[in-house]
Amino acid sequence: MRYLMMTKASETQSAPDEKLMAEMGRFVEELTAAGVLLATGGLDPAGIRLVSSGDEITVTDGPFAEAKEAVAGFALVEVRSREEAIELGRRFRGIVGDGESVMQQVFGP
Amino acid sequence: MTRGDAHRTIDAVWKLESARIIGGLTRMVHDVGLAEELAQDALVSALEQWPRSGVPDNPGAWLMAIAKRRAVDHIRRAQRLEHKQEQLAREQEHAPEPSGHPEQDDVLRLMFISCHPVLPTGSRVALTLRLIGGLTAAEIARAFLDTETATARLIADAKRRLAEARVPFELPEGDRLAERVSSVLEVVYLIFNEGYSATSGDDLLRPGLTLEALRLGRLLAALAPDEPEVHGLVALMEIQESRSAARTGPHGEPVQLHEQNRGRWDQLLIRRGFTAMLRARDLGGPPGPYVLQAAIAITHAQARTAEDTDWGQIAALYGALVRLLPTPVVRLNRAVATGMADGPGAGLAQLDALNADPALRDYHLLPAARGDLLARLGRSAEARLEFDRAASLTRNAAERAFLLRRADAVADTLADAAATASGPTLAEAAERFLAQDGLDAATTRAYGQTLRRLRLALGDRLPLARLSADDVTRVFTTAWGGTAPATWNRHRSAVRSFGGWAGLDGLTSGLARRTDRRPRPEPIGPAALDALWSRTDLPVREQTFWRLLHESGAPVKAVLALNAEDLDLDDRRARSGAGWITWRSGTARLLPQLLAGRTRGPLFLTDRRPGPARTPAASDLDPETGRSRLSYERAEYLFKQATGSCTLRQLRSRNRT
Repeated sequence: MRYLMMTKASETQSAPDEKLMAEMGRFVEELTAAGVLLATGGLDPAGIRLVSSGDEITVTDGPFAEAKEAVAGFALVEVRSREEAIELGRRFRGIVGDGESVMQQVFGP
Repeated sequence: MTRGDAHRTIDAVWKLESARIIGGLTRMVHDVGLAEELAQDALVSALEQWPRSGVPDNPGAWLMAIAKRRAVDHIRRAQRLEHKQEQLAREQEHAPEPSGHPEQDDVLRLMFISCHPVLPTGSRVALTLRLIGGLTAAEIARAFLDTETATARLIADAKRRLAEARVPFELPEGDRLAERVSSVLEVVYLIFNEGYSATSGDDLLRPGLTLEALRLGRLLAALAPDEPEVHGLVALMEIQESRSAARTGPHGEPVQLHEQNRGRWDQLLIRRGFTAMLRARDLGGPPGPYVLQAAIAITHAQARTAEDTDWGQIAALYGALVRLLPTPVVRLNRAVATGMADGPGAGLAQLDALNADPALRDYHLLPAARGDLLARLGRSAEARLEFDRAASLTRNAAERAFLLRRADAVADTLADAAATASGPTLAEAAERFLAQDGLDAATTRAYGQTLRRLRLALGDRLPLARLSADDVTRVFTTAWGGTAPATWNRHRSAVRSFGGWAGLDGLTSGLARRTDRRPRPEPIGPAALDALWSRTDLPVREQTFWRLLHESGAPVKAVLALNAEDLDLDDRRARSGAGWITWRSGTARLLPQLLAGRTRGPLFLTDRRPGPARTPAASDLDPETGRSRLSYERAEYLFKQATGSCTLRQLRSRNRT
């Protein structure tokens, strides 16, 4: 089963230091090697918003006011169980420090 | 956190960490079975402590630390008496980690061990899932539709074999590395295939296993990145897995590649497959079998619609694959590809060469492919027979239903006159033949065996009137070409009898009666015999047995089957089946010594009682001592030992001097 983990931008957090970068690099490398991490990436805060209403679709360029709620990064993992997903999420949070992530199971394609 | 939650968490952590932990421990204690036990001890500690204390921050390191402590304790305990070893244990405890990527190398070594060629394939699979995948025996058993006890035994047996063969925990180099890697690849692909095309049972896919295999493959690609075949296998599995959602229909029935909804193919996995393939290609060298199979899978993946498929390319790739891997299945797939590239006639021509291959005798995809090509050629009646045959051969319920539907679909297109008005089918005739009065049970069973094979090979719905001597000859060559003359003749007379009953003369005209052409062994010459009889270093059992064989000229098996109660010492004879075995003075002198007062049980006994793993029938055991009847193999071995190269049959040949 697959889970998508979305991590929100943290306002209290300072820019990632070298140690964090190194730890994260190792973590990503290890999970990729284990075949668990299928895809990961960071997201540009300046997103594009599309709203459809009736026949009309409005396109607006970001950034948006509620920036701290915005997703800053994601990871798609393939795991054996919900518990395995949580365990990986725990390890990730342990490296990045204070903040918030949300995991949801992915269905399909 | 509830207890159940904690246990599920611990299980998840264990599956992520077990390979590294067991690998590290094996390096310390040099015994993979012991390493696994120590790791299990650590797991038990976690099960005791974590529900109370919570999961530690670094659960893997926690488990490793506990397990290593156990390992050091073990080394100390095992070698307490030797001071030197004590020191070794202390060094081990503070030993600097080896350079490079010790943990990764340990996992790779562990893979090599669990896929070691000294193990039978089933054990390799179970042990790999157990040690690298961290699966429990119960989980492995469920995946392979086996019992937990059987799986546990398989794993225990594998560990014992590894210990007995003293398989080292090593990273071989050069050619040997490639060899060991290929043994791992074989196991990984086997696991994948078991999950991908479940050979039996009701589910067409057992997704747990494909995922485990993919993980193992990706892990191996990280550990042995310079082996192109590893990336080839990963690419192959990624692409095959990308179709998993599309390859079964709403009722679990298989959907063939060209009918799959390509929108449901997983593009993420396809792209991973492409990437792995590029890695393999970058490493260079002539493509191996996995790379070629991956290239075929990729050619399919690149086609936006089934019609866009580059069958010419695929047929060419199969042509290359057939040279490396000329297995019947590869040849079958090549014929299918040729049928697509150059038309059904060309495909059928390649398939016909496979029809007589005994390896494909019960392989349902051969008649399924033939049926497909025949249907495309408009030969509907033959196509329907082939689909029927395929359906009766497959063990998978969903696939059987699918094949029967195809048979019915072809039948619908048949002109009804031709389809119906042709008398009884092979199946109907065979059943009526077997049901006739006057056949005893044994004959019915024997004839039934023969006719079942005919029906499987030719199809239940074959009109009896069309059954030809050529068909029969082909079935015989494929099914029984390599059997003993007696077997061949038994099946032949069954068909003769069936043909006579059905009014089809000459059904066996293409089949010659076979005679036993095994040369009679040259009897042992008189000089050698005298030398043998005059030896005094031989146990009385051997002397008696050989004398009896020689003097009676009776078959070896019959003599070994004799019991003490069968003997009539005064008349120098023993009851054997419906007849008698007789002997002369040489045997008569020896028999009383051999019997030593015994009156019941096997005449010739083994030296020792059977081990716990062997349970001979009660009639093969001596009621007094529990020793079992001497086996043919053992008897033959003993004779060979004593004489150099002679066999018991040579002794048997009557050679009265």
